[in-house]
Amino acid sequence: MKRPEGRQYGWHGGKMKERDQRIDELLELLWMMGEEGLNDLKEFLKRAEDKEAEALMAEMIEEGLITTDKDKIRFKNKGEKKAEQIIRRHRLAERLFSDLFAFEAKQAHADACTFEHILSPEVTDSVCAFLGHPPICPDGKPIPRGECCKKFQVEIKPLVQPLTNLRPGKEGRIVFITPKHHARLDKLSSLGIVPGSIVRVHQKKPSFVLEIDETELALDEDIAKEIYVKEV
Amino acid sequence: MECRSHKKTSLPKEMQKIALIGNPNVGKSVIFGILTGKYVTVSNYPGTTVEVTYGNLNLDKNRFLIIDTPGTNTLIPMSEDEKVTRDILLNEKIASTVQIADAKNLRRALFITLQIIEMGLPFLLILNMDDEARSRGIIIDDKKLSEILAVPIIPTVATQRLGMPLLLQHIAAPSCSNFSFKYDEQLEDAIKEVALLLPDSNISKRSLAVMLLAGDESLKEWLHSKISDAVIKAIDSIYQKTQAKYHEQLSYLINQRRLRAADEILQSVFTPALQRARGIKESFGKWSMHPLWGILIMASVLLLVYEFVGVLGAQFLVRFLEESIFGRYLNPWAIKIADIIIPFPFLRELFVGDYGIITMALTYAIAIILPIIGTFFIAFGILEDSGYLPRLAVMANKTFKIMGLNGKAILPMILGLGCDTMATLTARILETRKEKIIVTLLLALGVPCSAQLGVVLGMLASLSFKAVILWAGIIMVIIFIVGYLAEKVIPGEKSDFLLELPPIRIPQLSNILIKTLARVEWYLKEAVPLFILGTVILFLSHKLGLLNAMERITTPLVVDFLGLPAKAAESFIVGFLRRDYGAAGLFAMAKKGELDNIQILVSLVTITLFVPCIANLFMIIKERGFKTAMAIVAFIFPFAFLAGGALNFILRAINIKL
Repeated sequence: MKRPEGRQYGWHGGKMKERDQRIDELLELLWMMGEEGLNDLKEFLKRAEDKEAEALMAEMIEEGLITTDKDKIRFKNKGEKKAEQIIRRHRLAERLFSDLFAFEAKQAHADACTFEHILSPEVTDSVCAFLGHPPICPDGKPIPRGECCKKFQVEIKPLVQPLTNLRPGKEGRIVFITPKHHARLDKLSSLGIVPGSIVRVHQKKPSFVLEIDETELALDEDIAKEIYVKEV
Repeated sequence: MECRSHKKTSLPKEMQKIALIGNPNVGKSVIFGILTGKYVTVSNYPGTTVEVTYGNLNLDKNRFLIIDTPGTNTLIPMSEDEKVTRDILLNEKIASTVQIADAKNLRRALFITLQIIEMGLPFLLILNMDDEARSRGIIIDDKKLSEILAVPIIPTVATQRLGMPLLLQHIAAPSCSNFSFKYDEQLEDAIKEVALLLPDSNISKRSLAVMLLAGDESLKEWLHSKISDAVIKAIDSIYQKTQAKYHEQLSYLINQRRLRAADEILQSVFTPALQRARGIKESFGKWSMHPLWGILIMASVLLLVYEFVGVLGAQFLVRFLEESIFGRYLNPWAIKIADIIIPFPFLRELFVGDYGIITMALTYAIAIILPIIGTFFIAFGILEDSGYLPRLAVMANKTFKIMGLNGKAILPMILGLGCDTMATLTARILETRKEKIIVTLLLALGVPCSAQLGVVLGMLASLSFKAVILWAGIIMVIIFIVGYLAEKVIPGEKSDFLLELPPIRIPQLSNILIKTLARVEWYLKEAVPLFILGTVILFLSHKLGLLNAMERITTPLVVDFLGLPAKAAESFIVGFLRRDYGAAGLFAMAKKGELDNIQILVSLVTITLFVPCIANLFMIIKERGFKTAMAIVAFIFPFAFLAGGALNFILRAINIKL
């Protein structure tokens, strides 16, 4: 993929970066209003947390990102694409934090706000593929599809997924385990459940049962969810 | 690597000790039984052995003390029973460590092997269940494994005694392995640093250092008795410092490294099964955990057990023994003989009167209870050895979660149907204090032991099947509600559900028989003296007029509240000694037609919930402490009567036909 204007992804120090980020935020806001079916200029300014929103808007119009028409505000093509990418990065980051690291929604959101400005397209697509091209973010809003998702629509299998996603009878090689308590890791590892081991889903209901080597092991679904595997 | 052989260091007269260790459910107790000729309960589920058992082995004029230990997956303990095993290696001078492995799960066994090697203990490795591994197509190159580890490797099929001569040949001559592997550099440095600070012990300093760096809390107490607080602090700071260098927990890194070392060994000696076994046994195992079929299988199993114990044992056999053998022959003979040889009426009555040792205690113990527990232990043994019981945990996990427990707790609960005292001990397999207290409480409150269960079933079955279902339903609902409330009230943590499921096996007739006989023998030894004691107490109370007084005092409770005849008070009194004795008293009353159907159900629910028997009470005190034990009794005692009374009013109010 061709890298568009380097500016929006890199660190350009002090002022410049800050200004870019603030524009990003406004683009993000406009996108989210769009999801609610709103494009009211007054509403936009009311929701914008930035005190200099109007000055920034002028710059955005100049850059050809947005356009205003009386009391309405709309994306221009370039701005919409940019906003879509920001939203995509934000929501993918949220998914990453909440699914993988089990952060609280609030924390995941806060950190995603930082990540949305700094992820490169390559990393974004990797995260997307890693998470299995998720269609929605943790609070249920759609994640804009990237190039990578379109490619993978044929073979939508995510690379790494929780063991609980595997169908009974399928095997997976453990990639990593993200336990809530450390004691869990000790217990699992003393049963041979560590990255690199191959486990097989025996059944999911009424309780999760997996097989490792010649051992059948019943365990809480919560624990199985924390075992991430690559299907083999 | 330093080898810690204690053969010559210990006193010459002292018996050399041999410890059997290994993963859960690999057959340690079977091998223990063969070596010592002493029977310990052998079953097909992990956690059968929760206490250490000692036995003697005579070999070439030498006597050895064999120690059977609870199974463990690692020597860095995570539960009480696992700590027991590690502590044996730590505290006892072991001449020879015999590690028993399930051949088909060699990887998990090697994980322990590597820890034994690290401890510097001389050992030998048994690859048990060789037949199961072979039938699954697993090939183990035991010669090569023996070369790599430089210790004797002995393939066995313990249940068929295959490989035992070879074991006897090597058991007194273990070797220290020269196999070694390193952790990464920073960790190795820390291990060396910690090892320098440690005292001498039966196991290597290196292994102790690794345990401490793995954050083994269970070692703290031992450490405090050996070295000063300042040194412990120094060790702690090395731990903190080292941990700070890694993102992951040291214990996890250590385990990963060990498994990698195990995998390296496996690569050259182990050919895994190509295809998983899918025979009829595996299919049964699978269906028994199915959300729908699992319930049907459970219902069928219960029905079969009911037919066998409740109908065959509690009705047919009891009728035969009580009415024919005792009623027609033994008791009349005993009375006749007593009339002739005992001149004093008082003594005569003590033996053959209404509260006579023969006519009451032995009749109850032998004629009513023995056939019931005999059939129950046979059915239970079959279930235990089939590997079915742990699969119930899979079915019950979600329900148990509501009671602050997890599926694993179903094992002690079901064992309680055998004997609540033993089951209270088995609560050790649970991890947290909260879980142990809840299970102990529920066992003492609502889980009837085999003897009591049999008597109850015998009485109810003579009413109707509906009565059986009603009784079981009421007890289960009460257990559930009390469990739910206990979860809310008792502070502490829950633990994760993580349970190994043994393979489904066809039970061996010989083991079932031996196990049943051992249990019947235990029952006779424990119960009969208490039955006699209870009878003597009743007899004396009767003679002194205390019984009438007691019946009068308890009339408001027994007669007015529970709606039972005053005589039922006797059953509750002896119920203090053994609940089954209490139940047997009710049984006798019911047979004489002194109880109507509602009275039978009310009295049975009350006696089921009634305080635990004396043996169980002592076990609760031993395991949970005096205060907890008293709290449990203080709750159960009024609760049992309250529940019985409430049931009485409800049944009378809706005027149910049983």
